[in-house]
Amino acid sequence: MLEALENSALAAWVRESPSIFSYTLVLSLHAIGLAIVLGTSTLIALRLLGVAPAIPIESLRRLQGFIWFGFVINLLSGLLLFIAEATKMAPMPAFLIKMSFVVIGMSLGQVIRKKVLEDKAALATNVLPASARSLAVVSLICWAVTLISGRLTGYPELVSGMLGL
Amino acid sequence: MLEHISAALTLAPIQRLVNGHAWFWPLCETIHYVGMSLLVGIIGVLDLRILGLFRSMPIGALKPLVPLAMAAFIGNLITGIFFVTGTDSGASFYIENLSFQLKLAVLLVALINLIIFRLTGLEEAVYATPAGADAPYRAKVIAVVSLVAWTFTIVFGRLLMYNDTLLLFLGL
Repeated sequence: MLEALENSALAAWVRESPSIFSYTLVLSLHAIGLAIVLGTSTLIALRLLGVAPAIPIESLRRLQGFIWFGFVINLLSGLLLFIAEATKMAPMPAFLIKMSFVVIGMSLGQVIRKKVLEDKAALATNVLPASARSLAVVSLICWAVTLISGRLTGYPELVSGMLGL
Repeated sequence: MLEHISAALTLAPIQRLVNGHAWFWPLCETIHYVGMSLLVGIIGVLDLRILGLFRSMPIGALKPLVPLAMAAFIGNLITGIFFVTGTDSGASFYIENLSFQLKLAVLLVALINLIIFRLTGLEEAVYATPAGADAPYRAKVIAVVSLVAWTFTIVFGRLLMYNDTLLLFLGL
């Protein structure tokens, strides 16, 4: 099935078209999307850790919308990048770790929304519940793992060496 | 002239560091991406607020995060210097690369834009903007320039390894 995806006309276009609007545009969008997701998630985590306390909790909910915007850009660009090299990416440990942690990271965002950003007492007083700090730290670690494993998908030999494969 | 600049910027000790440790380059890349993400998350959000998004935020609330954005920029400057001075094939790979030249050009635009933001006093006016209120009109121009310049910094950075595609697109 991976080969079928890789041999599809769409995958071939992404991979082989000399146009700047194919592979290079998709790569650019993926970099922008990840910067939005990671950067905004970090901003929210920092606020939950007490940095920039004047940022209203209400604003953080809006910022999560921006994260979803970045996530959708990366989902779409990521799918195109994946099918272009499906047989290479799918078995890669770094890629599988990255995908797992993207899911964890976005899920954690939902937990943060329910437990912190929609907490009525927090919204009224701008004072955060106790769970906010730990959620923020886990979030930062999670996105750090995503970033590092994402980068390492470009270095399969380095990863194999590190894992002793 | 470019050859002279390239020769001056190729630093053997950094090249040895890059060649001697396989993890060094990906580490620098990771730091570079962290810096990029912090810049987008902080300055990008600030620019969008100036343009009217996230209005529930008093703009001054973002001020404590700006030094972190500056630190992120410096981190990227340092890792960027490691890339240029330490790459195997010598600095000419970057110096003679149109994508890299354009990246530096738009980066310069972003920095000049920031200087104007500060020197005109617009920065103070922006930070004084309360929740629900509009930033000054001239600040919105600064914000658009900032967003476009930083976006293209990322794009040209991505195109570095695909410079031929850029040249083809520009008919060069």
